[in-house]
Order: sequence, then C-alpha cells, then structure tokens
Amino acid sequence: MKTFIITNRNTLLLAVLAILLSFTSCQEYLDVEPQDQLNSDQVYRDVFDADAAIIGTYGKFMQLAEKYVLLNELRADLMATTRNSDPEMIALSEHSVTTDNRFANPKDFYEVIQNCNDNLKNFDIMLAEKKFTQTEYNQRYADIGTLRSWIYLQLGIHYGSVPYITEPIENLDDVRDASKYERIPFEELIDELVAFTEGLAYTSPYSSDSSLVISVDGYDTAKFFINKECLLGDLHLWDNNYTQAAIHYKNVMETGTMSGNDSDRFDTYRIKFAEVATNNDLAVGYLRFREQDRLALIDNNVQGWRSIFARDRDVLWNTEWIWSLPFDSNFAPKNPFIDLFSNRGGEYLVKPSQRAIDLWEDQNQRNGFPYDARGKRFTYNIIDGDEVIMKYIYKFLDPVSQSPIDLFQTDGDWFLYRAAKLHLRYAEAANRDNQSRIADALLNFGIQSEYTVPGVTDKTDIEQTFQPFPYNFDARNGDFPRFRADWHRNGGIRGRAYVERAEVLGDSVISIENNLIEEAALELAYEGNRWGDLVRIALRRNDPSFLADRIYEKLNAEGSSQAGAVRTKLMVRENWYLPFVWNEEE
Amino acid sequence: MISIKLNKNYLGLGLLLLGLVSCSEPWEDHAGVNDPNLTLNLSEAISQNAQTSEFGKLLAETGYDRVLAGSKTYTVFAPSNEAVAAVSADALSTAQARKQFVANHIALTAFSSVTQQDTVVIQMLSDKYLDFIDGSRVADARITDADNYTSNGLFHIIDKDLAPRKNIWEFIKERAATSDMSAYLLELNEFNLYTRDSVAKANAIPGMQADSLSNSYFTNVYNLNNEKNKYTFFLLDNESFSEETDRLRPYMNWPSEDTTTVYTNYFTTRDLAFHKAIARENLPDTLVSRFGVKVPLTEATIAEEIQLSNGVVYVMSKLEVPLETRLLTTTIQGENPFGFSQSDKRANTFYREKADPQGNVFFDIMVQNHRVPRFTIYYTASNLYTTTYKVYWRAINDIQTNTFQQRVSFGGFISPTDGSLQQPFAELPYTNVEPNTYEEVYIGEFFIDRQGRSALLVALQAANSAADGVNTLTLDYLKLVPVIK
Repeated sequence: MKTFIITNRNTLLLAVLAILLSFTSCQEYLDVEPQDQLNSDQVYRDVFDADAAIIGTYGKFMQLAEKYVLLNELRADLMATTRNSDPEMIALSEHSVTTDNRFANPKDFYEVIQNCNDNLKNFDIMLAEKKFTQTEYNQRYADIGTLRSWIYLQLGIHYGSVPYITEPIENLDDVRDASKYERIPFEELIDELVAFTEGLAYTSPYSSDSSLVISVDGYDTAKFFINKECLLGDLHLWDNNYTQAAIHYKNVMETGTMSGNDSDRFDTYRIKFAEVATNNDLAVGYLRFREQDRLALIDNNVQGWRSIFARDRDVLWNTEWIWSLPFDSNFAPKNPFIDLFSNRGGEYLVKPSQRAIDLWEDQNQRNGFPYDARGKRFTYNIIDGDEVIMKYIYKFLDPVSQSPIDLFQTDGDWFLYRAAKLHLRYAEAANRDNQSRIADALLNFGIQSEYTVPGVTDKTDIEQTFQPFPYNFDARNGDFPRFRADWHRNGGIRGRAYVERAEVLGDSVISIENNLIEEAALELAYEGNRWGDLVRIALRRNDPSFLADRIYEKLNAEGSSQAGAVRTKLMVRENWYLPFVWNEEE
Repeated sequence: MISIKLNKNYLGLGLLLLGLVSCSEPWEDHAGVNDPNLTLNLSEAISQNAQTSEFGKLLAETGYDRVLAGSKTYTVFAPSNEAVAAVSADALSTAQARKQFVANHIALTAFSSVTQQDTVVIQMLSDKYLDFIDGSRVADARITDADNYTSNGLFHIIDKDLAPRKNIWEFIKERAATSDMSAYLLELNEFNLYTRDSVAKANAIPGMQADSLSNSYFTNVYNLNNEKNKYTFFLLDNESFSEETDRLRPYMNWPSEDTTTVYTNYFTTRDLAFHKAIARENLPDTLVSRFGVKVPLTEATIAEEIQLSNGVVYVMSKLEVPLETRLLTTTIQGENPFGFSQSDKRANTFYREKADPQGNVFFDIMVQNHRVPRFTIYYTASNLYTTTYKVYWRAINDIQTNTFQQRVSFGGFISPTDGSLQQPFAELPYTNVEPNTYEEVYIGEFFIDRQGRSALLVALQAANSAADGVNTLTLDYLKLVPVIK
C-alpha cells in the first residue's frame, strides 16, 4: 500500500510536470529573441523608433565622410597626394580613375540612400497607421528626404548620370544595372531633386522641443541634421535659379532675427566682425596694438579663426556652424580624418597643393603681412617638414607641441555647412541676380562698411540696402539716434579674415563671381566644396577651361607629367565624371 | 562479393605506396644540407681555398680565424696569395699592424656582388669605410672571384690588398715635424679659440663625440679625424702658409703677438677644409668654404696628392686667397636681438614678416610707442677684423608717415643698473629713417684697432624723446663691410 501511494505520488508529479511543460516549453523557452538585433516588428512602432532609425541613417551617412572630402578636394585643385598616397588616390588626383578603382564605386552612397528610402517608406506606413502625428511625420520625413537629396546631389556632381531611386529595393546590386534603373543626366537629376525637396512640407530645423534635439553623450544633437534651406539654396544655385536660391539662403541667414537674446540675434550666421579687444571671436586677429607683431597672432583652440575648427560646440560655435557631425573615439564610425591628414599618429595621405599654398601667399593682410594667415598659420602647418592640413586634426594634436595628445583620442568633426559657406553661396546667387553690390559687400568688409556714408552721425537713412526680401539688409549702428540693427555686426568674409579687399576687375559680375569662388578656396579649403564649385561655375559659364585650367595649374605645380594631358581631357565635360561601376563582392 | 575484392585491392595499393615513400625520407631531403659550401665556415673556407691560403694564415695569426668561425654573418674581401705576397712589409711589421690589416678586409653582414646600388659604403672591422663599387671593385682592388658563400657569410677574392690607410688627421700628425701648418693644427688641441671650445673639451665624454670636441679645429671647422665622412683638405707648404698668414695678419691685431699669430693662422686655415672628397679631375676653379670664403684653386700648384681613408689631402705650393674674398661682411639680423635696455616693452616690440614693393619677403623688428627716450636694442657681432668698417642698414619705416631717427653704436657695455649703453667706442650719428625706403642706407664707419675675447656689442638706439612716433626703432639688418687697408 505504502509503495502504491509512493508510486501514485510519483505518477502525479510526473503528470503535473508534463502538463506544465506542455504549456510553456515551445513558446517561451525555445523561442529566444536576439538581444543585439531588432526584428522587423520591433522597429517603426512609435516616434522614438523613428528617431532611432534617423540616428541610424545618419550613422551610416557618416561613413561617407572620407570619400566626400577626397572626391571633392583631391579631384580639385587645392589638395595633392603625398609620398604615402596609394595609386588609386593618385589616379583620383590625376583624373585617370579606372573602373577597378574604389573611387569609381558609388555603392556606399546607395547604401545610405537605401537606408533613407526604407525610412521614408516606413514613415508613410507609420503615418497611415497613426503611430505618430502629422507634425512629427513632416519633420522626420523632410529631414531624411533632404539628406537623400544631398547624397544624390553629390552623386550627380561626381558621376554625372545616375539612377534616381526613391523606393527601397530588394537587391542593391541591381542599381548598377542600367536596364533596370535608368540613369538620368545631371540637369534632369537637379530638376527631380528641386521638385522633391521643394515639395517637402517642413523646411526648418527640428524644433527645439523635438525628441531628436537632445543632449547625447555630451553632444547637442541640433546641428547633427541637415539644414533643408541650405540644401534647397544649393539645388537652386545649381539650377541657376538665383532668386529662389537667395531666398532659401537668406532664410538661414536670418535664423537669429526673431531671437530676444542680443548675441543670438546679432551673431548667428551673420559673420560677425572681430572682437579686437578680447579676441573672443572667430576672426583672424592679433593682440590689440600689436598687429605688426607676427608672434601676436591669435592662434589657439578657443579664440580666433582657428577655433572655428577646434573649439567645443559652445555659443560662439553655434553662431558659425550650421551642420557638423562629430566623430568620437568612443563610438563608431571611426574618425577617418586622422589617418588621412596627420603625419603624426596618422598616415598622411594628402596635403595642400602648391597651388593652394600660392593662393594664400598671394593675399595681403591688412597689417601689411604678405600672406593670408588662414593658409600657413591655420589651414595647414609645417610639421616635421611636411605640409599638414590642420583643420580636421586640431582636436587630435596638442595645441603647442603638435604631437597627438593620445593616439586613441581620435575625436574630430565632419564639417558640412557653416556661415561662411552660406554667405559665399548667397553672394554667388545675389551677384547673378543683379545684386553685385551686396555680393561684394558680404565678400569683403560687410554691409555696413559698403553702405555707410563717412562722417554722417545720423544713420537713419544709410547703412542699409533698401531692397525687398531676400536682399534686405539693415546694418545700422548709430548712437544719435541709437540703432543696433540686425546686421550691424556683419564684418564680411575677408573682413573677418583680416585680408585686403578683393579687387573687382573688368566685368563686375564675372569678376565678383571669380572672387567668390577664390574666397571659398581660401576660407573653406578641404571642407569638401571645391570640386562642386568648379563644376558649377564651369557649367554656368559653359566654359570647361574654368575647371580644366585650375586642375592643370595644380598638377603642373606638383610636377606631374600628366598636367597637359589632364587639361585636354577635362576640356570635355564627359570626362569630369567618374565611371559608375561596382563589383558585387565589394 | 565483388565489392569486397575491390576493397582489398585498394588496401594493397595503399600499402605498396606507403612502403615506397617511407624509404626515401622526403623530409630529410627537403631540410638536409647537401651543399658542400655550407659545410664550411668562412675561416675554414678561406684557408682551404687554394687562392687565399696565405690570407688564411694571416687570419690564424691574428686570431680573426676564430671570429670568422663564429655564428655572425661576415663578408671577407680576401686578397689572393699573389696579392698578399705583394703587401709592403711596413703594413705587416708589428702584431698591431697585422691585426689592423686583416680587420680592414672583413665586414659584418653579407654584401653580395649582386646589388641594386652602384656604390655601397661598407664599414670594415677596422672602423674604416670602404666603397664597394658595382659589385666588382672594393676601394682600388678588383674582385676576381665573387660571392663564395659559406655557412656564415661570403668572401670575395681580390687582386690587391686593402691595407688600411691613415685618415686626414693621422696624416697631419705625421707631417707635424716638417709642416708649419700641421704643427699649428696640432696646437689647437690645447689652445681654445672660443670660450665654447674649452667647455666642449672639458665636457667631452670618451667615445661619444669626444673626437670632434678634442681639437678647436674639429669643433669649429670639420672633424678631420672622422671616418664616417669624407673631406678635401688643402695643406699649404711652409712658404705658402707664411705668405697667406702675413697678408691677413694686419687684420688680426690682438694685444699679444702670440695670440695674433694663433688667430691669423686660424682664419687662414679654416677656409681650407671642405666636405666630401673631391677628386683631382673634378676640382673646380673656386671652392666656397663653410664660412662663405671663395677659395681660388689652380691645379698647377698641387704639389702632392694623398688619398686617405676619409678623403683626400692636396699639398699646395701656392694657394692665394685675396683679401677681398677672405674678409667677410658681417650681417646682423634685426629680428635676432641679444637684449633690450629694458625688458617690459614686449607689447611694443613687433617681429614682423612683410614684403617690399617688389614682393620680396623680409623679417624685421620694430619697436614703437614705447615712450622711453633712447630705448636700445642690443646685438652682438663676432669674428670681426681690425680694420675700418663701413656700416649700412636696411630699416623700414612703413607704418608711419613721419621720418624718425635712430643710431648705431659699437662697443661698451650694458649698465647692470638700468640697462643703458655705457662707453661705446664708436657712436654713429643719429640718422633719418625715411618712410617707405626699402634700400640699404650708408650710415657711417667705425674702426676696430684691437681684437678682444668677447663679442662686440652693437646697439641700436632710439631718439632721445618720449614721444610716440618719434622714438620708433626699426631694423631689417645691419651690414658691416670691412675695408681693405
């Protein structure tokens, strides 16, 4: 009996266990969710998922940084190869890129585009399923949409005819199949991009209460995202649609206008004049009353022009930078610029071309020094006998010894848009829109200096342009009666850089345009604009020599035997573009 | 059933294969040493080689046979038996000499005759350096049988011995008894031309640069005892040497006759050593010394040519350097001051980098708005001659519109109490600095009648006024041009 009971109990226990097992086992125990990846049903569920997707796309986008700089600078005339450059980079510099060259492969651009397309499609689905509000949708859709347009603009600049794909596709390698995805010419692409980007319902930066504008790991995210108005201005400028371009640029230039805070209002994106007493500015300057002493140059990471690239993302930084993505050694992707530029702790793959050096040396500073300090003092330095491009590595090298502070501290930035570029682009549009005087003023010493009348105390009717938007500037700065107009601190690009004004010779529109493009070289060198500038002007003037001559001068000064042949080659527009190929295994 | 049979066949085949392979021991064949050359080391190979057995005996005698039996890799340039027989008795007279002789034929690591470079400079165990040219010659010997490899390096058989040569300094020492100039150079072991020489000699750590610090000629001109570089040296014969020094002597007036002689000799001989060995056929008609003196050369006056281990010496029966080129102009750069009469004017002192109207860049100094009457910038000048100097300046007054005045003084000392200039022996008059003048301006002359140990103090003094714009100082450079008496 006793035995029976025990057996019975055991049977009971077994039965209970069996029942228990049958309820739980298959569903919960064996079906483990991966912890480091998301399933498709775990994304795009709410606005925070959408935000994560956007951040992810920007992370992917940052992998284009090195290529962006190399394509736009090494192909143009300001950057040259070094003893360490590989043959593919030399080919890029000498315009002999063959189909097996990694720079001929646009796949990484399309990978980001694929991400964008996936984001956009899912935002549509989320909106339809009411997973976020119309406003939230508009802001995010416009951001990713504009980013995609930016990438397409780059593709068009470098590859000419490219397929314009706006839907996620099954197999990315199909892009290279011209029969599946038709390649459209550059002009058509620009029209498509203008139509799409203009059609976006939201053009401002994310509002400050957006869940995307936060502080993450010490970085304020507001300037991570593309500025839509800037890209719209650029697209219209490529389309030679000058008034529209000026309107969009001017919208950005007036970002501070409604601010109640004086320094926001007067300094944001307005190219403020130099603070000669304190030197707490972004200008090329010297210690006061020691302007004749070359050792008194303001040359540190927290003051003056150099600090544009070296300072933390503080108030002053925010008055200049419109779009900039940080590389942090604690997070992927890795900063590619250390290896590219530094000869200490890096591979030193590129350097300033002799032609670029000559451009800076040909300027005169307003203290009579026969060079532009933005050149050899800031943009590049001589380190160990090498000309080293410094803009990207100020955060990596010790400010005094110029040795790496810590080889593993590879913080830096990808410089994408700043006020100086905005002003130069706006001036380019204005100049072509019969507003050469404004263009010349913004390029040189500012609106006030151009429109003032010497000796007049009452500023009521002077120091302003008296034009309708987008050419309205009020730079009045007077005390009797008192005026402190929005633009009164504008000091002009060359004013801020402490160089003599650029002379206008011959036809003023052409001459000022030349001055603007040359100024972009002096001010924005190595920030990834040069090739686009040369192509845009050469197309606008229908004059390939504008581009070809400059590349010739670079290669000639570098001692390349190919200089003459490259010039001949570049006189034909088709040869400006890279071959559009990629191999499946890459 | 059929299948089993087949299996058995395969088994048999496999066994057969195994049997065949195992006997030949392929791994042993692969790794074993079968090359008879590699069974011998250098020492054995050289002494067993019929052509070099005599050199082999020398190796054994000097103990280098044990070195060459070691595990390091060496290259030996082994002279053939005929070549060893032809060696001068001198080179093998003592045990020391024999050792040095053998060491000069051996180099560490392997140097094959097959090489990309046309000339390889090889350091021999004797610490001398020999040129290995085109893989077929070493120094002046020809290689008759190259690349005999052994287990620890290789040897080349050569048709002529490589008896070690003296270097230039050893040659000079040898000539000291008969050559005045050589004797003088040896004196510089003890005599210090400049204060820094005595410091260098006192601090010389044996082994580390000690060589180049041990003689004032080495510190100030070239280290002729250095085997790693090559030099060309002109040794004047006694007559020519006294001719040259006599000409220079009036410009080297020291308080004592002996000192005058030492410095006259130094300023004569310092222009006679040149970097790199220049072969007779490549001698140009003028060489420029490292001090900037142009030395005219005529091949006809070469009395003797001696090839040495670190270059070549030409003994000259005549080598005349005219005073016009011997006496150098001294240039003082404005932007390299030695000091100021007071140190609190840094904010008024501008180190400038500007361009003249032609676009030529210059660096200069300007001190402006300092409010100190007779504010002074100090410079020093050394290696001047006892003669009259004409003084020129290039002083650029480009940021003011008015003319101001400044003056230059020579000699004297800086007052330890207020930094002012005291007792200059020559004071040039206050001279106008006109606006926007970029040319050199003659400002006067001064005379030096005696040399002194310390460098000459040169002072640039502002006007005696506290007014801004009037007491400005500016200087690109001062030029002191010696006048031939």
